Order: sequence, then structure tokens, then C-alpha cells
Amino acid sequence: MREELLKSFVDMDEQEAVRIARELVESDGGAVAVLETCKEAMEEVGRLFEAGEYFLSELIAAGDMFNQIMEFTLPKLQGDEVASIGTMVLGTVQGDVHNIGKDIFKVMAEASGINVIDIGIDVPHEKFVEAIKEHKPELVGMCCLITLGVDSMKRTIEVIKEAGLRDDIKIIIGGGRVSQAVMEHVGADAWADDAARGVRLSKELLGKE
Amino acid sequence: MVSPEMQKLAQERAARMQAAIELKEPDRVPFTGLGGDIVAAYAGITAYEFEFDFEKNRQAAIKWLKDFPADSPVGGIGGLDNLAMSVAFVDFPDLANQFFMVNGPMNDVLNMKFARFPGRQLDEYSSRQFIGGKNMEPEEYDELIADPVKFSYEKILPRIAGNLADLGSPTSLATMARLGMVKAQQAAEMRKTGAALAELGYPTGGGSTFAFAPLDYIGDHLRDLPNLVLDIRRYPDKVKAAAEAILEVLVKWTLQGKAAGAVQAGFPLHLNEYLSPKLYREFYWPTLKEYILRLREEGMRSRLFCEGWHDAHLDTFLELPAGWGIAAFEKTDVRKAKKVLAGHTCISGGIDVGVVISGTPAEIDEYIKRLLGDMMPGGGFILGPNVGNLPRNTPIENVAAVYEAVEKYGKY
Ligand code: B12
Repeated sequence: MREELLKSFVDMDEQEAVRIARELVESDGGAVAVLETCKEAMEEVGRLFEAGEYFLSELIAAGDMFNQIMEFTLPKLQGDEVASIGTMVLGTVQGDVHNIGKDIFKVMAEASGINVIDIGIDVPHEKFVEAIKEHKPELVGMCCLITLGVDSMKRTIEVIKEAGLRDDIKIIIGGGRVSQAVMEHVGADAWADDAARGVRLSKELLGKE
Repeated sequence: MVSPEMQKLAQERAARMQAAIELKEPDRVPFTGLGGDIVAAYAGITAYEFEFDFEKNRQAAIKWLKDFPADSPVGGIGGLDNLAMSVAFVDFPDLANQFFMVNGPMNDVLNMKFARFPGRQLDEYSSRQFIGGKNMEPEEYDELIADPVKFSYEKILPRIAGNLADLGSPTSLATMARLGMVKAQQAAEMRKTGAALAELGYPTGGGSTFAFAPLDYIGDHLRDLPNLVLDIRRYPDKVKAAAEAILEVLVKWTLQGKAAGAVQAGFPLHLNEYLSPKLYREFYWPTLKEYILRLREEGMRSRLFCEGWHDAHLDTFLELPAGWGIAAFEKTDVRKAKKVLAGHTCISGGIDVGVVISGTPAEIDEYIKRLLGDMMPGGGFILGPNVGNLPRNTPIENVAAVYEAVEKYGKY
């Protein structure tokens, strides 16, 4: 059944994937199997995206399927069965309201075992600082799609520095406006303008790959 | 009165653009120029003043164009796409287009939920923002398909326009009356701005109106883009039927722009990047293609602004007759587009705004030199920024470096 779930998920057969997952989750040890299979499926979808076979619509559909399935799977798992490999505070920077890319990245990061604290869009600099203090993440992810957001990222990182928190975290930036040059300009540690690469780099920053 | 010298300049500029569209080599590479928030900053005014005060806006545009002249002007108060309202009033050709762009003063009257303006919902230095939203449920597709105009008027308008929430109420009637007053004042201001631009040698008339891929109407105004992407898989037949119904309305609307003097229709494409070639060809392209062809039959050319990555869909343009119009690119490399489209489609764009913001003047000179070296030969190229808005703090010496490089390397 895991094979079938994996296949229907990766083939974007929403109804079938959700149906199998519902059935599987009821069996003994099924919830863990569903979780792992869906993570594997998300990874495969990410791989197909990086290879240029899948497009954003497939990432969105996969993220939606993943969320649907997790809604009934997570409550059936014991705490230690969902062990995370690290925590990330994630938000779209002040002045920018684009959230589609951030949300795609979020699901894929979650599927890879990162505990993501999503602090939303148009996030004021101070709110990043507060969230870092509250959740003590290893990683901070910032998303930016408009040119004006680049300055906003730079300013956010300065504010994090001023709060004395910069050395406790690694910062990864994403979204349509980021590049190596932007990363250097704003003072981040890594950048990715596609979610699959972003997840890979995040794991590297966590020392998990 | 416009001097003969400036009239001649306007003719030269128009001819330059026209030659490129017709895939020829003009005297110089046509250049659409840079603009955006930087225009207000250059004049020392806030974004709020630039978006609400016609006189200050005009003076800022004139100052910018005197120092940074290009083949098409900046100028006029911009607004946010309010297509659902144009659709709702499409049976009133004197009005539908008037409502299409909601600018600051119009929004003070209408209070649109998708809009945020400087000095209002935003600080005085931020530029206006369209923040979108979901305004329709999937169960409503049948209503949309049956009558997109009625659906927009009865269902969408009250959901998106704060002050039209209760259609027929005194508030809604007062809102429409006030909107008419604001539009009348603005029409007079716009004539003034047009006259000022003519004095600077910019063509009057022969302008551009808007058009949208039918699926983008659904993604931008009705369902919100990620929901539409899911709808395509869940309710494919309804999405297709909706696109066809919307096509009829939008073609009618764009042709109203033609009747008012426009010769070109600009399509900003949004869903393109999201779709695989298979989904693009099945859902997005058929009604978009038909739209372009119908406008062409009526003597209008189209300009498609392909936002995001368009690499996977470049070959679809070849289904259109050569010389059909302009393909402008954001992330897709114009050189790559040229390989596919040379001799068939006029290409526009090329200047990565990121380079203008963060490069040095020397780097910019080199960048433009290489770009023009690759793109000018053979003609059919219009130089411009890949996105329209240069931020306020863009170094002005970088802007100057772009214009100097175009001057230096842009001659055929
Ligand atoms: C959809 C869209 C919108 C929607 C947004 C809906 C929403 N809920 O997000 C709406 C219509 C609301 C909108 C509004 C505006 N938009 Co807009 N929009 C787009 C569009 C068409 C697609 C953006 C998108 O979702 N891309 C797809 C996602 C998946 O890509 P992505 O974000 O890069 O994410 C990927 C990776 O970067 C990565 N990732 C994402 N986040 C993160 C985070 C981390 C940490 C990591 C590691 C990775 C990662 O994973 C994702 C999957 O691979 C683009 C054009 C384009 N095609 O790019 C314009 C675009 C981004 N918008 C633009 C503009 C200007 C605006 C407006 C300012 C317009 C206006 N004047 O009102 C407003 C924005 C207001 C504001 N202040 O933010 C410009 C930006 C230009 C610029 N350089 O500044 C663009 C490029 C269009 C253009 N060419 O002019 N927009």
C-alpha cells in the first residue's frame, strides 16, 4: 500500500492518494508509514521540479495533498515519532505580501523534518526578533519577491544583529528576488530561489546532510 | 503649442517602436526607459504625493523625462488592476475602462479590499500595493460560466469594494456619484499631463490599452492563484468553460479601448510560470491565443508581458502569425527567447533591474554593451527593464549609466 500511496501522490492523483492514506493510517503502525511515504513523495516531487519535469502547479498540488493527509495523520502519531531535525522561523519580509512561494517552501521543509514556525507575510523586523527569542530556532528563513523587499531583508538582519541574536542562527533567504549577490548584500548565509534547493541547503545548515 | 521640433521627435520615437514591432532594424534601438518609485524620489516628493497630487506627479515626470528621455514616457497617476469592476460594467462602454485602474483618489471613494496606498494603509514612502484575495468559492463556477458580467456585478463587486458592499444602498449610490466626480476631475488633469508630454516630444494617441488571459482574471480577482491551480485539477471542465465565457467579455472590453484610440493591448501574464507545458497548452493558451487573434482581426497588436519564467512556453508564440506583436520578458533570458523567436516575434526587456540597483556604473556600461551586442542585430528588439519599478534608493548614477550606455551602443 505504501508503494501505491507513493505512486498516486507523485502522479498527482489527489483523490486516490488521500483515500489510500486514510486507509493506511488506520492499520497498525500505519500513521508512521503514511508520514514517511508522504515525505518521500514530497522529496520526489521536489526532485522532478528541479529536473524541470514538474512546475509550480505540481508543487502547489503536492503541498495541498501533504497538508490534507497530515491533518488526519499527525494526531495519530506519538510525540517521538515526529521528531524534527531542527526549527526554522519563516516569514515574508516587511513590505512584501507574496506568500505562495513561502507556503510551498514551508510544506517541503516540513516534509523533510524541519519544524517550521510560520510568522506570515509583511513581517515587521521586530517580529522576526521576537519570534527568534520565543522559539529559539536554529534557522531563520526570509522570503522576498519584490525589489523593495531586498532592503527590507537587509534591515531585518541588521535588527537581528542589534538584538545580539545573529550568532545563534543561520539565515537562509528565498523568493524571486534572491541571488548570490543579494545574499552577500543583505548578510545572509544561504539563498535559494527554488524550494527543493532551499530544503537541501537548510538541511546542510543544520548539519544534517 | 507643440514645436515642430518636438513633433518631429515624437514621430521619430513612434517610428522606432513601430519598426521594431515589424521586426525591422530602426535607426536606434527603441528604449522604453526606466521609471517607478525613483521618479518621485528624484523630484524630492513622497510616494503619497506622487500618487495623489496630479500637479506634483506631472512636475516629477517632466523633471525625470528632461534628464532621462526615452522612446516612451513615464507619467500620469498609476493605479491597481480593478478588472472585476470593468467586467461588471462592460455593457457601458463609456464607463467600463474608466474603472479599470483604481488610483489613490478613486480608492478613497471605493475602498477596495485588494488595495493599499501610500499615506493611507501604507506609509508615505511605500508604493501602492495590490494584495489580492479569494473572492469566489468553487461552487460558484456555474454562475460565473452562465454570465460572467452578472456574476461580477452581483457577487464580486460587493465583496471587493468596501463602499459597494450593499448595492443599491444610499452608500453605494453616493459612492458611484462621487466616483464620477473624481473621474471628471482626473480626465482634465490627464489631458494636461498629455499636453506636457507632447511638449517633450512624446507621441500622443496610438496608445495602449489592457487585456488579460481569461485564466488570469480568475486567478487575480476571483479564486486567488493557488486555488485556481488546484481547481484546474479538480474541476477541469468548469475552468475551461469559465475561460471561454470570460474571453467573450474581455475581448469586448479591450475593443472598447480600441474605440477610444488604442492600437495595442498589453497582457500581463501571471499563471504562465505555474503551469507545465501540458497544462499551459490545455488550459491557458487556447483562450489567450484566440484573444490575440481576435484583436488582430480588429487591427490591434498585442504585447505579452511574460512574468516569471516563460522558457517552457516560448514555442507557443510560433503558432501566431509572424509580426503578431511583442513578447516582453522578466526572468527568461531575452537571448534565449531570440533563438526561438527571431524573425517572428518582437522581443522586449533585457535590463535586469537588480543590476541597475546594485551594480557599478562601469559594470552597467559593460552589461548594456553586451546585451545590445547580442540583441540588436536583425532588429525586432525593444530595450527595457525586466520589471517596471525602480526603488526610491536606486543610485542615480546607475540610472544615468544605463541611459549613457544606450546612447553609446544603441545605434544601428
Ligand atoms: C502571484 C503574484 C502576485 C500575487 C501574490 C499572491 C500571493 N498570495 O502570494 C498578487 C497579485 C497579490 C501580487 C501582488 C503584487 N505583486 Co506580484 N507577482 C506575482 C507573480 C505573478 C508570481 C509570484 C509567485 O508566486 N511566484 C511563484 C513562487 C512559487 O515563486 P517564489 O516565491 O520565488 O518561491 C519559490 C522559491 O523562491 C522558493 N522559496 C520561496 N520562499 C522561500 C523562502 C526560503 C527561506 C527559501 C529557502 C526558499 C523559498 O520556493 C518556491 C518554490 O520553488 C510574480 C511574477 C512572477 N511570475 O514571478 C509577480 C511579482 C513578484 N509581483 C510584482 C509586483 C510588483 C507586485 C505588486 C507590488 C504589484 C502592485 N503594484 O501592487 C504587488 C505586491 C504588493 C506587495 N507589497 O507585496 C513584481 C515584482 C517586481 C519587483 N522586482 O519588485 C513581479 C515579479 C511581477 C512583475 N514582473 O512585475 N503579486
